[in-house]
Amino acid sequence: MNYRIDRIILILFLMFTGAVAFVPYLVQSEYQLRVVTVVVLWVGIAGCWNMMSGYTGYIDFGPVVYFGIGSYVVAIAMTKYSVPFFPSLFLSGCISAFVAFLVGIPTLRLRGAYFAIATFAFAEAMKQITLEFDRTFNVSFFQGSDGITLPISNYENSFFFYCILPVTFLVVFTHYFIEHSKFGYALKAIKEAESAAEISGVNTTANKLVAYVMSAFFLGLFGAIEAYWITYITPSDVFNVQKTVQMVIMTLLGGMGTFLGPVVGATFLTLISETLGAQFVEYYLIMIGAIIIVAILIMPSGIIGGLKIRKKLRFI
Amino acid sequence: MTSLECKKVSMKFGALAAVQMVSFSLNSGEILGMIGPNGAGKTTLFNCVIGVYRPTSGKIYVNGIDVTGMKPHKVCRIGLAKTSQIMEPFTGMTVFENVLVGALHGGRMKMGPASYKTEQVIELVGLNEYAYKLSGSIPVPVRRRLELARAIATGANILLLDENMAGLNPHEIDEALEILKKIRDSGKSLIVVEHIMRVVMGISDRIIVLNYGSKIAEGLPEEVVNNEAVIKAYLGEKLSSLKVA
Ligand SMILES: Nc1ncnc2c1ncn2[C@@H]1O[C@H](COP(=O)(O)OP(=O)(O)O)[C@@H](O)[C@H]1O
Ligand SMILES: [Mg+2]
Repeated sequence: MNYRIDRIILILFLMFTGAVAFVPYLVQSEYQLRVVTVVVLWVGIAGCWNMMSGYTGYIDFGPVVYFGIGSYVVAIAMTKYSVPFFPSLFLSGCISAFVAFLVGIPTLRLRGAYFAIATFAFAEAMKQITLEFDRTFNVSFFQGSDGITLPISNYENSFFFYCILPVTFLVVFTHYFIEHSKFGYALKAIKEAESAAEISGVNTTANKLVAYVMSAFFLGLFGAIEAYWITYITPSDVFNVQKTVQMVIMTLLGGMGTFLGPVVGATFLTLISETLGAQFVEYYLIMIGAIIIVAILIMPSGIIGGLKIRKKLRFI
Repeated sequence: MTSLECKKVSMKFGALAAVQMVSFSLNSGEILGMIGPNGAGKTTLFNCVIGVYRPTSGKIYVNGIDVTGMKPHKVCRIGLAKTSQIMEPFTGMTVFENVLVGALHGGRMKMGPASYKTEQVIELVGLNEYAYKLSGSIPVPVRRRLELARAIATGANILLLDENMAGLNPHEIDEALEILKKIRDSGKSLIVVEHIMRVVMGISDRIIVLNYGSKIAEGLPEEVVNNEAVIKAYLGEKLSSLKVA
């Protein structure tokens, strides 16, 4: 019964993604296209955080670091080595994933707040490294606080929309895969009771590491696409802790460890920020803060999380 | 055939020697009872065997393989599973899914065969009516059975049961005993830690007794209950209830 609902949701999701693909032909202005692109981008970014923290319960407070690494890899590859965009993009994902692999081995041993602190510290450290590296070693590589200007493309917004949509689609689809796989049961078991998972045969370290590396891979892609889109990056922008906070809030609003949580949370938050931001320039942040507080109070498990409990749905 | 062997296993927590030079072996198809007062080191010994703790000294062999210091998931896949005294179900999952985790990961199975195995184990321990309930919402006696089911589903041939019948009423204990016999008859070896003497005496082929971390006796059930040291350390007050039973 629930499995059938679940299939229906997947089909609806595929149809919805298909429909979204036509947005560039339907919008009335570049502004509208930009908003939709930002929504799709944030659905994907929030999804990356959910993939790791939502399912394993390990609160990563430095995911932005992999976004930032992606931005810098694409910028350096394109400007310093004249690598074309798509190979650079792929390289961004791979290097982010590789760094996550190295960082994950020691940090994923830490539990609870210690993991959050370690990941947060690592993200801040990367920001400082990109800021100070050139001055310290007297080179011109990361270009410190001056930032890097990427080659200006002739591409329109729709090009970036079509870069982001498939990656976001993959992220959400990965969630669907997690929900139905052996891997997903390992992650959920780790979240519920890690030592019980361990004695039931779950290789906890390996499974956590895979989730962490996957999430970093996709974050690297998003970082790279956004860097090419806005064409100018600085350490304080791409490693901004604000981005981490946004991922966390969007996922919490939608529902942690749910398939559709980041989709709903990111769409909701991006759209209300846009609408309120346009109308109440001065107060909109306060209003958004209030909305978030009310939403969390009414629905502690998030929009989808709450629905899941109330309707006894297993996989959404 | 020996399925589990402990050689001079010791475990120290700082100055406290929770387990001291304990040696014993478990034969295949055997039920070994383990008794001893609270704090004797039974749970700690189990945790050393499955790899939650690395013993301070000594060696542990599971199915002939040296597992000393190995991680629990590896020991589990070599063939040893445990139910915990402090139950830890995956509360956000259904009973079925809890057991499925054991089959998928401990048993290294694919989804299809693992689901099939899960159904069988659920049938074996009589959890059918709870299969699709969330494990956080089931009563304690059912949770005890769930712990057992999850351990069986890993396919391990050795099961360590740490006070798996604590809190059960006499009727539930009888049911649990029947289940244990079925498990034994399916070819598994068990170590059963229980305080209820009726259970230990009724089901064990042999019994070992721990006190202050050391093994103070080992033998057939009737030998052990007549052992002076055991009566002094543990059975003293329990013997009367045993004679009634
Ligand atoms: N993680 C631990 N750290 C320190 N002491 C412990 C720990 N676990 C158990 N102990 C101590 O080891 C002794 C044996 O405990 P335990 O193995 O739980 O006994 P039993 O299961 O036989 O009741 C007790 O004195 C207990 O307080
Ligand atoms: Mg104990």
